[in-house]
Amino acid sequence: MRVFWTLLVDSLRLLRARALFWITLVISALAAVIYLSIGFTPTGVSMMFGMGKFDNPVLRAGTQAAELFYLGLFSKFIVGLWLSWVAIGLAIISCAPVFPDFMAEGSIGIPLSKPVSRLKLFLYKYIGSLLFVVLQVGLFCAIVFFAVRWRVGTWNPSVFWAVPLVTLVFSYLYSVVVLVAVKTRSVLPAILAGILIWFASWVGQKGEEILYKVAYLDTPGDVISTGENDNVRQWHQRSVWLMACLPKTGETVNLMDRHVVVGGKTGFSNSGFIKILMGMESTPEESVDQAIARHSTLYIIGTSLIFEAVMLGLAAWIFCRRDF
Amino acid sequence: MSAAVSIEYLRKVYGGFEALAGVSLNVPRGVVFGLLGPNGAGKSTLVKSLLTILRPTACRGELLGKPIGHRATLAKVGYLPEHARFPEYLTGRQVVEFSAGLANVPVAVAKRRAGECLERVGMSAWANKRVGAYSKGMKQRVGLAQALVNDPELLILDEPTDGVDPEGRIEIRKLIESMRAEGKTVFVNSHLLAEVEQVADEVAILAKGKIVASGSITELTRRGHRYELRTEGPVPLALREGFARNGWEVAGDRLVLEAESAATVQPAIDALREAKVVIREVKELRRSLEDLFLEAVKSNGNGGEA
Repeated sequence: MRVFWTLLVDSLRLLRARALFWITLVISALAAVIYLSIGFTPTGVSMMFGMGKFDNPVLRAGTQAAELFYLGLFSKFIVGLWLSWVAIGLAIISCAPVFPDFMAEGSIGIPLSKPVSRLKLFLYKYIGSLLFVVLQVGLFCAIVFFAVRWRVGTWNPSVFWAVPLVTLVFSYLYSVVVLVAVKTRSVLPAILAGILIWFASWVGQKGEEILYKVAYLDTPGDVISTGENDNVRQWHQRSVWLMACLPKTGETVNLMDRHVVVGGKTGFSNSGFIKILMGMESTPEESVDQAIARHSTLYIIGTSLIFEAVMLGLAAWIFCRRDF
Repeated sequence: MSAAVSIEYLRKVYGGFEALAGVSLNVPRGVVFGLLGPNGAGKSTLVKSLLTILRPTACRGELLGKPIGHRATLAKVGYLPEHARFPEYLTGRQVVEFSAGLANVPVAVAKRRAGECLERVGMSAWANKRVGAYSKGMKQRVGLAQALVNDPELLILDEPTDGVDPEGRIEIRKLIESMRAEGKTVFVNSHLLAEVEQVADEVAILAKGKIVASGSITELTRRGHRYELRTEGPVPLALREGFARNGWEVAGDRLVLEAESAATVQPAIDALREAKVVIREVKELRRSLEDLFLEAVKSNGNGGEA
């Protein structure tokens, strides 16, 4: 444990020394404060701590629609966009040099000459890098936690699900970054590889979604039972196999919808939220929500973790066998 | 008690290049040991093999009584690598505490030892400044402090005086001597022969991945012990032939003989005196470590610099 804490403290010091960490943290805090500034009045919505007010018959203080809208903003926009794209992108750029610096001539000799196995050194260093995202998202969620209490009136600890989920997404991609960094000892190829896998994962997921819609959904909400679009279904099956090998970055973040508590119930209705954004009553359409959540949590996280384990296993193998 | 380092057979091959060709070496406990060799001789490869920083192709031997590669034993070893680099975001004290943490030194002990070691290397005043603000010599001193923090039985220093000013070199030498006085073993890898000669009890010379000479400095420099005689005017031709027959090198007014003791030289002095030749000077010629090094390296076909 002494070695683990030593490397963890070192990782914290490393983060503290990186300007990008502070820039991301400040932007995250600002975004959280903007979120906090959104509130509800008896007649509608208020922005910027009441500086702007907009009447809305659906979104009013004390309604369930207001809670769905507020948590939807958090789940779809803040977690889905800011935390899972921008914050992770910045984290990749910021953490990519960790292993090349650690393995540099003159630096690596001291840790390797200590009574700690190479595998432990590697894993602890990797875990330490994840702190970048854990701290960023943790701070963000803490502000959101109090914002929800203030604006909606409930203590909602389910918002903290964003911490493990966003960290998981980062860890999938960071495993690729680490593999390339350990192999090449260079930062740029590592970042490019991480971005490439991220892009491939996003394209793969979107492709699979489109093929699924074409193959199985006549119109949104109607599930065709059997027999039609066999060719498309074959292509969809292939895309499912392909995606099984890739990390599910988008789907992992979307798991937030299944774990966030709205109106005392676990689970967030995407169709309901979309309707609210369109100014309609938030009646959920179960078939749409089911189609979005057609993959189980176990499948999404399990297959992604297998991908991560393979990447990390290869990286650890190279690290442990390498002559420095 | 077992030797500090006892290498029976150590071989390292990189691709087709043999960096260490079956090295065998013994370093007794409590001595200062100098490993010398030209650039590319395999000195750092040998040290890194002992410390598991690289994986030897074949290795049989012991480090502090345990097989080389036994990880727990490394807790008793301190190491300063060549061109040591420390994260610039850390202070000197944090570098030393980081090293202590990796060596499993308890937190309270690490804090106390960090202060003591920084004091010992003359870095107390700079202990809380970031490494980024240090000169090369200061970084080297902090490197020494981190190598000492676990109170090692064996201290391995790879080019310890690299980038250190003359005053700092004297301090490092004193530090090495004080370690020896405490009964520790110090293994110094260096290309600075004069420095090693001043501090080392034993040395080994490595060339082209092979140990070409090893032993105590006295022992090694005694080999090839010579005497030189100088006369007033050239040595008479009548005597030259006799001297040459007895193994003397004669050139002008100079006679040189390889001999273990001064007794061997006496007949030559007698012969010169009998021939009424005035002897201007009789000198005992001891070989320096540098002579020894250059000879050893040259005879092994390695013309690299020290």
